[in-house]
Amino acid sequence: MARFDQLENMYDLGLKPVMLRSLIRQYLPAENHPLNLNNSCFELPSLVSIVQTHCLLSELDSQSIDPKLINTWKSAVDDWLSCLLSLLSSDMSDKCWVGICLLGVTCQECSNQRFLSSYSIWLIKLLSHIQPPADSQLVKIASCTSLADLLTRLARFPEVKKDGNLLAGKLVQPVLKLLNEDNVEAVWEGAANLLYALIAFFPASIHHYYDKVEAAIALKILSGKYSTKTLKKLGYCLALLPKAKADKDSWSLMMQKFLISINDHLNEAFQGVEEEAKSDEARRLLVSPGKDLPLPLGGASFKGTSSERLPTATISTLMFCCCKMLTSSYPVQVTVPVRSMLALVERLLRVDGSLPHTMLPFMTSVQQELICSELPVLHAYCLELLIAIIKGMRRQLLPHSAYIVRVVTRYFKRCSLPELRIKLYSIIRMLLVSMGVGIAIYLAPDVIENASYDLNSLGGEDIETSPANTGPATGALPQLSNRKRKHGAKTGSLEEKQDAPSPKVGESNTHQMTPITVKMAALDTLEVLLTVGAASKSESWRSSIDSLLMKTAINSCKRGWGNLESNIFLPHESASVWADFQFSSLRALLTSFLAPARTRPPYLSQGLELFRRGKQEAGMKLAQFCAYALFALEVLIHPRALPLDDFYSACHNSTDGASNRFLENIYSGSQKQNTSFLSAMRRTEQGGVESHDDDLYDRWLQNENENENQNENENIPVEDMKDQTSRPNDPSFTNVLEVREQEPAAANADVHMRTENEIVVQPWHLEESVPKSQGVASAKAVMSPAVGTNPEVDGFDHVAGKTSSTLPNAKKGSSSMVHLDSDSSMDSFPGIVDADPDTDADSD
Amino acid sequence: MSVVIASSSIDGGIGCWDLQTGAEQLRYKTCASPPHGLTTVGCRFLACSQLRDPSATSGHLLYWSWSKPQAQVKSFPVEPIKPLIANSDGTYIVGGGSSGDIYIWEVATGRLLKKWHAHYRAITCLVFSEDDSLLISGSEDGCVRVWSLFMIFDDVRRQQVSHLYEYSFTEHTLRVTDIVIGYGGGNAIIVSASEDRTCKVWSLSKGRLLRNVVFPSIIDAIAIDPGEHVFYAGSRDGKIYITALNAESSPSDNYGLHIIGSLTDQSKPVTCLAYSAEGNLLLSGSEDGMIRVWDVKTQNITRMFRHSKGPVNNIVIVRLPYPLGRAESKSQPSSRKHELSLPPPLEKYANSSDEDMDNKAIVMLPDTIDLPSYLSSQLINDHIKQLQQQGSSAVAEMEAKRLKADCQRSKEMFQQLRKVYDNLQEFCVNELLDEQTMEGSKGN
Repeated sequence: MARFDQLENMYDLGLKPVMLRSLIRQYLPAENHPLNLNNSCFELPSLVSIVQTHCLLSELDSQSIDPKLINTWKSAVDDWLSCLLSLLSSDMSDKCWVGICLLGVTCQECSNQRFLSSYSIWLIKLLSHIQPPADSQLVKIASCTSLADLLTRLARFPEVKKDGNLLAGKLVQPVLKLLNEDNVEAVWEGAANLLYALIAFFPASIHHYYDKVEAAIALKILSGKYSTKTLKKLGYCLALLPKAKADKDSWSLMMQKFLISINDHLNEAFQGVEEEAKSDEARRLLVSPGKDLPLPLGGASFKGTSSERLPTATISTLMFCCCKMLTSSYPVQVTVPVRSMLALVERLLRVDGSLPHTMLPFMTSVQQELICSELPVLHAYCLELLIAIIKGMRRQLLPHSAYIVRVVTRYFKRCSLPELRIKLYSIIRMLLVSMGVGIAIYLAPDVIENASYDLNSLGGEDIETSPANTGPATGALPQLSNRKRKHGAKTGSLEEKQDAPSPKVGESNTHQMTPITVKMAALDTLEVLLTVGAASKSESWRSSIDSLLMKTAINSCKRGWGNLESNIFLPHESASVWADFQFSSLRALLTSFLAPARTRPPYLSQGLELFRRGKQEAGMKLAQFCAYALFALEVLIHPRALPLDDFYSACHNSTDGASNRFLENIYSGSQKQNTSFLSAMRRTEQGGVESHDDDLYDRWLQNENENENQNENENIPVEDMKDQTSRPNDPSFTNVLEVREQEPAAANADVHMRTENEIVVQPWHLEESVPKSQGVASAKAVMSPAVGTNPEVDGFDHVAGKTSSTLPNAKKGSSSMVHLDSDSSMDSFPGIVDADPDTDADSD
Repeated sequence: MSVVIASSSIDGGIGCWDLQTGAEQLRYKTCASPPHGLTTVGCRFLACSQLRDPSATSGHLLYWSWSKPQAQVKSFPVEPIKPLIANSDGTYIVGGGSSGDIYIWEVATGRLLKKWHAHYRAITCLVFSEDDSLLISGSEDGCVRVWSLFMIFDDVRRQQVSHLYEYSFTEHTLRVTDIVIGYGGGNAIIVSASEDRTCKVWSLSKGRLLRNVVFPSIIDAIAIDPGEHVFYAGSRDGKIYITALNAESSPSDNYGLHIIGSLTDQSKPVTCLAYSAEGNLLLSGSEDGMIRVWDVKTQNITRMFRHSKGPVNNIVIVRLPYPLGRAESKSQPSSRKHELSLPPPLEKYANSSDEDMDNKAIVMLPDTIDLPSYLSSQLINDHIKQLQQQGSSAVAEMEAKRLKADCQRSKEMFQQLRKVYDNLQEFCVNELLDEQTMEGSKGN
């Protein structure tokens, strides 16, 4: 008690040993005391959480800690451990279970020193509980898990690798025994945990038992009788198994075995729904002629699965194994049978449950029903496999990318299940990101078609609105095939007829509603398409996509902002779907604003309004994004093309214009304090600054000399600026314009902003993202009109015409110079036209 | 560690210098390269096409590993290859032939994946776009073409289109000498130089000419500033012209429109340029065999490397993940493995030898790092849940065990009590009997 008084607060280290001791007293049952399952046992989680929160076992060791405290703490942990070990050796299985579980936690929490000094003892203790004489299941599972934790921790000390391998080797046989002889699924799951730790961290220990492990796991997977979770865990172990040998051949062999096994199972499953030739073809790709068939998976053949059920569990687990093999790292280069994997994917996706004509008489409707009910699962795994292939192969997929695109787009046209569509969208995103612009040009039409379809169709969020709202857009878009594939039981030809567009059916049918998650996937995909491929050959689809995204964003936000806090009444995943949808739609909208285009974003003002509202009203994540969007769009509105460093100061020493530009840099550099007023002033002023031998310019130089601290001239008085803005009708203004013609879009934007309303502003998004080409293009137009009309110039025309129809001469390249007081600057415009031939002459 | 590698058209080997310290590293022997012939393959090793005498019918390509001065792998493509380039992760090598054909090889297997007739005359330079999905080629016929690799590999689509290229720029009238591509993916600009004394700026997104810059002399090399403010054009008159892209220029500049300055060292013709983004350095190779390092900010030469007497015609800046030379000694077994085993030579013809390989690919699987995760505490929660529900068989089993033990204990207790009872009874009976006998004896 006296000790307790000395404690400062909950961070006091002195608290920890005391706390640990009272935990031991309170929760850990003494040796001879019977454990009351209903009380102390149920409080284990809270015990664990206290231990973890306060790091009670960590035994912090540093110079600053009182050595007495260290000793107290050490003895407390000693007591804790001795208590655990005595529990562990108890013959009561419940006590034993408590001890084992807590030892697992200790492996994770204790100090390095303590772990290294006692891991081998702990390992032997735990090992005895997974060996016969058989103990309770819970004890076995807990020991496996604790051992797995021990190995995980041990793997972090490279210096004990050898010893670790040796000890881990002792575990392999008992684990195999559990797998082979125990008949409880939960125990296998525990064994799989341990096996995973063994293979992942101490692969060398498995080396001798390679075939046995393979056989044991294969037996379980091929029987296909157990829960997906267990099968997946075991499958993961099997997929990692080649690491035990870590050579090129064992990886390829394992992969080949998987593929052959999948193939064989498919042959069996697809009898009747697929033509024979397909299976032969797949086989031919798998085993090259003249080569021997490898031994089947697991060594011997395990035939005789029940024929009533499809071997879905087995096939899907095997495909999961393939995925894991492709996405886990491997120490050496491996030969991946890409072609046969892709053929497998194509084969599976091609089967949709319809019957080929030749097979009609041989199938019963029960059989067909069976296949149709299992197909979605198989297709989902199949798409997972495709994703894994793309991940694993990365750039080297290039020679096969066209094939993949064909498979994916063909399947996209028919696929209507939400989960599968989401997966398809993610495949498309991966392709776009990994293959870049080159593929975007060719993928765009399919992406657009599907995404527009999904976004235009009725969804969960539109339930309250009348179909009329979405009606016209849906009608205008190309209709996808009828979604009710599965009822096309009779013939394929009937389905072809159903494929004809029938918009009416689609809108009234509630099954046609696109779930919100699919819409999100579509939005994300459009976003990626815009980032990757908006610059290239996008004229045909760009405007419709922009308007679609704007519409979607407005629709998503019109009924208020989604709640990001997860609702405790709802199951976990559905908590913030609505907010996620808004997030996706806003992100896609921002991308559509920022992506390169030839005209300015037509919906910018609505978009800005949306972001502004979102910033103020929405929850944390959305508001943060809206703030970011406004920030990103600021550059679009005030484009900058800042030079690298103070390049010009050096570069222009020889040329007359040097110091002017130096000055200008400073101005653009000071955009931080970017109130729109100030920046507007500054723009106008830069015109003045740039002119050669101009008295304004001289005054600015003076100004600058006064402000010694040139590079941080935020402190230039606003009055000065105003003063100068009021004098743009200076005779030297012609020169300004002349310079301006070759200038990048850096400083020319928001003058218009101030003169006109937002909509008539010139295409500044273009300037932002293509600053150089635009600047270049306008200059080009001036120099050599023979090249033909540039769209930008047309854009300029357009804007200039709108801005002020009385400025016909100002079209070429110089519309950017329209000033606040255009009346006075009017006088100088003829000057530009005069200047143009001069420039040309100069360059020649 | 950044190193500069440079080669020459006359055999002076491949020079290699540390860009920061200026120290010369290994010199890789026997290399006489054409312009744009030197490249690194994913930073793993060096590859260079070789100049051959005009009568030679086949090409010559060499690989050097970083650690050995001798060329270790020799390939003999079907015709002389001049420009050579690898994509950024080093999975493909692309070469341009003197007949106008472009070849794509897979590095890991050496297989010739594709070959197509790209230009009417010899290819002079090749460049990959930022994301490696587009290939830009320049030719002696003055043509610059943009290819999508996706299209090249799509056998079905190839037959449907009239031409394979995405864009073909024909405005140059003479041999194209150099091409660079800027930042921005599909929205990038391409700058090409030609013997017609012009550099032209093209838009990749719109596929047409944006700017034409006429120079006083022929430009053989260009380098682009990463901010795309300017580009540098190395000319045969020995000057490096600074040309405005995004920067403003006035018509009164001395050299011509858009040319806003020059870097000059009274040297012989500039043959190649490279820009090092870290430190903003511009490297120029010259016909006098020197490599000059310019600080573009101050426009001064900060360092000179002497390569050989012959003209330098290739400079490449390579960022190595580990220092040269030390790689073999220790600590990086994986990179060592890469380095020591060079891939097989490039094949001469497509579809030769192993047809099976068409269906396969040699891949280094991506490295994934999993944080170690511990399961015990989760397991406790799971099991406790099971215990609370009391439903599962495992719990039942445990409960049964406990009950059995209880039962055992009760049985023992029973036995004990029984014993005590027996003892007590015996005692009482004895007592009674004793009393009776005593009474009986008294009575008697």
